[in-house]
Amino acid sequence: MLIYILRRALLMIPTLAIISVLVFTIIELPPGDYFESYVAELEAAGEKVDKSQIEFLKQEYGFDRHPVERYFYWVGGLLQGDLGYSFAYELPVNKIIGDRLFFTILISFLTIIVTWMIAFPIGIYSAMHQYSWSDYGLTFVGLLGIATPNFLLALVMMYLANVWFGTSIGGLMAQEYVNQPWSWGKFVSILEHIWIPVIVIGTAGTAGMIRTLRANLLDELQKQYYRTARAKGLSRTKAVTKYPLRMALNFFVADIGGILPQIVSGAEIVAIVLSLETTGPLLISALQSQDMYLAGSFLMFLALLTVIGVLISDILLAVLDPRIRLAGGRTK
Amino acid sequence: MKKTGLTFAAFALLFGGIASSSFAERAETVSASAPPPVYIETPSLAKAVEKGELPPVAQRLPENPRVLDPTKYGGTLGRHGGRMRWLMGKQKDLRMLVYYSYARLVGYNEKYGLKADILEKFTVEDGRIFTFTLRKGHKWSDGHPFTTEDFRYWWEDVANDKRVGRGMPAKMLVNGKPPTVEFIDEVTVRFTWEDANPEFLPSLAATRPLVIFMPAHFMKQFHPRYADKAELEKRVKAVKLRNAKRLHMRMARSARPENPERPMLDPWIQTTKPPSTLFTFRRNPFYHRVDPAGRQLPYVDEVRIAMGSTSLIPAKVGAGDSDLQARYLRFDDYTFLKAAEKRGTIKVKLWDKSRGAHMAIVPNLNAKDPVWRKLNRDKRFRQALSLAINRREINQAIFYGLAKESADTILPGSPLYRKDYAKAFARFDLDRANELLDAVGLGERDGDGIRLLPDGRRAEIILTSAGESSEQADVLSLIRDTWRKAGIALYTRSSQRELFRKRIYSGETIMSVWEGLDNAMASAATSPTELAPTKQSQLHWPQWGLYYETSGEQGAAPDLPEGRKLIAALERWQAAASPDARKAAWHAMLKIHAQNVFTIGIVNATKQPVAMSPKLRNVPDHGVYAYEPGGFFGIYHPDLFWLEGADKKSSVTSDRATNGEPSILTKATGN
Repeated sequence: MLIYILRRALLMIPTLAIISVLVFTIIELPPGDYFESYVAELEAAGEKVDKSQIEFLKQEYGFDRHPVERYFYWVGGLLQGDLGYSFAYELPVNKIIGDRLFFTILISFLTIIVTWMIAFPIGIYSAMHQYSWSDYGLTFVGLLGIATPNFLLALVMMYLANVWFGTSIGGLMAQEYVNQPWSWGKFVSILEHIWIPVIVIGTAGTAGMIRTLRANLLDELQKQYYRTARAKGLSRTKAVTKYPLRMALNFFVADIGGILPQIVSGAEIVAIVLSLETTGPLLISALQSQDMYLAGSFLMFLALLTVIGVLISDILLAVLDPRIRLAGGRTK
Repeated sequence: MKKTGLTFAAFALLFGGIASSSFAERAETVSASAPPPVYIETPSLAKAVEKGELPPVAQRLPENPRVLDPTKYGGTLGRHGGRMRWLMGKQKDLRMLVYYSYARLVGYNEKYGLKADILEKFTVEDGRIFTFTLRKGHKWSDGHPFTTEDFRYWWEDVANDKRVGRGMPAKMLVNGKPPTVEFIDEVTVRFTWEDANPEFLPSLAATRPLVIFMPAHFMKQFHPRYADKAELEKRVKAVKLRNAKRLHMRMARSARPENPERPMLDPWIQTTKPPSTLFTFRRNPFYHRVDPAGRQLPYVDEVRIAMGSTSLIPAKVGAGDSDLQARYLRFDDYTFLKAAEKRGTIKVKLWDKSRGAHMAIVPNLNAKDPVWRKLNRDKRFRQALSLAINRREINQAIFYGLAKESADTILPGSPLYRKDYAKAFARFDLDRANELLDAVGLGERDGDGIRLLPDGRRAEIILTSAGESSEQADVLSLIRDTWRKAGIALYTRSSQRELFRKRIYSGETIMSVWEGLDNAMASAATSPTELAPTKQSQLHWPQWGLYYETSGEQGAAPDLPEGRKLIAALERWQAAASPDARKAAWHAMLKIHAQNVFTIGIVNATKQPVAMSPKLRNVPDHGVYAYEPGGFFGIYHPDLFWLEGADKKSSVTSDRATNGEPSILTKATGN
């Protein structure tokens, strides 16, 4: 087991190296650079910029150098924990991301918990009552959740929250609490705002999870061991929770690899629509304005989390399910 | 209010003509009116004064402050207090505070004449000797005196010191030569050039002004000449900058007020350390303007700028979340905003935009395709395309008839406006268009009635757009119909902005759609560089512009006589010693543009919705919303805007009160 973990950890190094090259290349691919998009943006708003000033800035930030040289400069910084410098904010990247990380994690965490709390009972219920009216009804609601575009749902809920509860539009708290120290009022204000993104981001995930759980469970319910358990006189609920449900849980564990980066990145589009101070909008705007160190470092951070998440879920799977063999095909 | 606003607009129009001549050539002195006899202490600062943290108002103001009388602009004398909320998109937008504040050494007044603002007065001799007098007793926002030392610091320690500066700004050079600068006493500084420098004062009055002074007492701690070396190194490391030069530049920056520590001269001072999504600006207790009643400006105590998704801004404005907003509102939001106005949450006004054309079709004179390049360069071809556009129909169908059908030229509010510039080839005349197209060698047509190019291809124009506005697509579909009648097929292709520019610069794009002149409210004192091929970003002649920008190193020299004529006229303007000569140069350039239709303007004088709190006073009903001149709201003095009833609440109270009221949307559904 230890050797396995060690090997996997070593494998992460080349994986991340390849990802870093990909990230850098993709960010470099579109024509122009941050300064050109900055000029274009200013000019579109009717403002003017001195060309010499832009040339100067490009030199200051090393944009006159070869991309390969810049890549190594960037990676070298990453290795020392220096995420680089954001042009748009004129601040070190860690400072910008750090500030938003808390709310992003909070929202994502709540979302995941809410998703699980809704999806689990419904998934189990509809698997056990397959093709009944209640199964159809819940499935229908779930599919509605998948089919409704997130951003639309966000707009509608924001509108309704404003109409019914007088919640201010957008943001994570009423304006007066931004930049203020924690207080009861601030906490309440956040609670007033946070349920919208949690529900909006949650709906799509919930529906997906209901369907997966239902399908997995149905597979298991056909199997002999379940019948045996029932035949031995176990009650239906007990039989299901004790055996097939545990089998069906594998996919939850396998999912952790995906959840980890998701917790940090948040749902970008919804966050933009709702004007949340999370990391998602930050990443999108950095990509749009080609603020490359901000975007690149953030993507690398996500990649690292994904790789770690996958490792964790693999290890957990091995621990939870003895049928899974670590060495893969090599044992034969 | 409506009436006063109208008078104000009429006032601006009437006196617009005088504006250009008020710019001083002969030795001219501009001095302020007498200060009020007694000053009224600002309530929100009274406590600090009592405790001795701040000197009383009479000592905070310069001896001779600038007196701004709102009643002269059709407004009313205001009261102190309250908070103004603005909505912005990104942290970069903080620069709007400096634009809107518009505190400059000299600034444009609402008649587009130049007036001393931070300066007490200025004199100009021969157009080359500029003597500035500061206001005695004027202080930075931290209370430190603002004197000619701040000018000296910039001149000697920044502009002429490569260790921290970027070198001499190009705008300080006339024919490549810098001025001689004399610091005569604490409040007098003189700049002398060998030749006339007509761009000096306008660039100080610009929305993004030329910086010629810095808070010396603050900046010295970042300057290698004054600061301790080890200390400086530590500071550079602490903020992860490359070198002391960057640190100095960052600390010196005034265009984007991010640093709460840097002393400023603006009416509101930054108090929030970035990054944040909410920035609070408090009143500058040492601001140099007062009203005639003796109240130190600004009236409003606090400005709050909230950052958020720009697409949500119209909705938030409709819900009353902004007290003054024009940025990120578009004309198509107008009906929505009007509906909100009916419910009483906001007030909406329509201001004029200052572009020469809201939308213009831009033939690329540097196109790569030889056949199209030849056509684009033929002025008859451009004239024909312009004549084949039914501007009336477009105005009625898309702009509710509120725009003005015009060529891409100066707007009627400008003293340089002439009717024939606006009307040049802007009528709808298909017969004449067809005649002209026959004459340029496009006489042959194919079975569909599309003209054939000399090399046999069909005359199909692929018009590229930056792909950002659905309005453009609507207008173009109307143009497509009428161009077809002239035998020209029009296809549109939307692109992405950087790509859009790149392809035009490289000549791959034959024709594009963009906007017209930036500053169509210009006066003769404004530099006409925009009319001559001087910038690569001029989409009709990018190569010529690049040639000028790089002094001939890159790009191509203008090889049409008109291009050279425009450059010659620009040089005449730059060397002109009299206002008449400048005016003549302007008109020469405008005439060349009118005849040549380098850009095909569709409509101009489109409207900009301006939404504000119903309690906000002194915002003119009609104004021009322009970056240059005047920094959007800046020229109308936002420091004179005040909130009715704000003085009755205890200075700045929480806005929970307004949140508690039934929201506008409730009222809407309640109906």
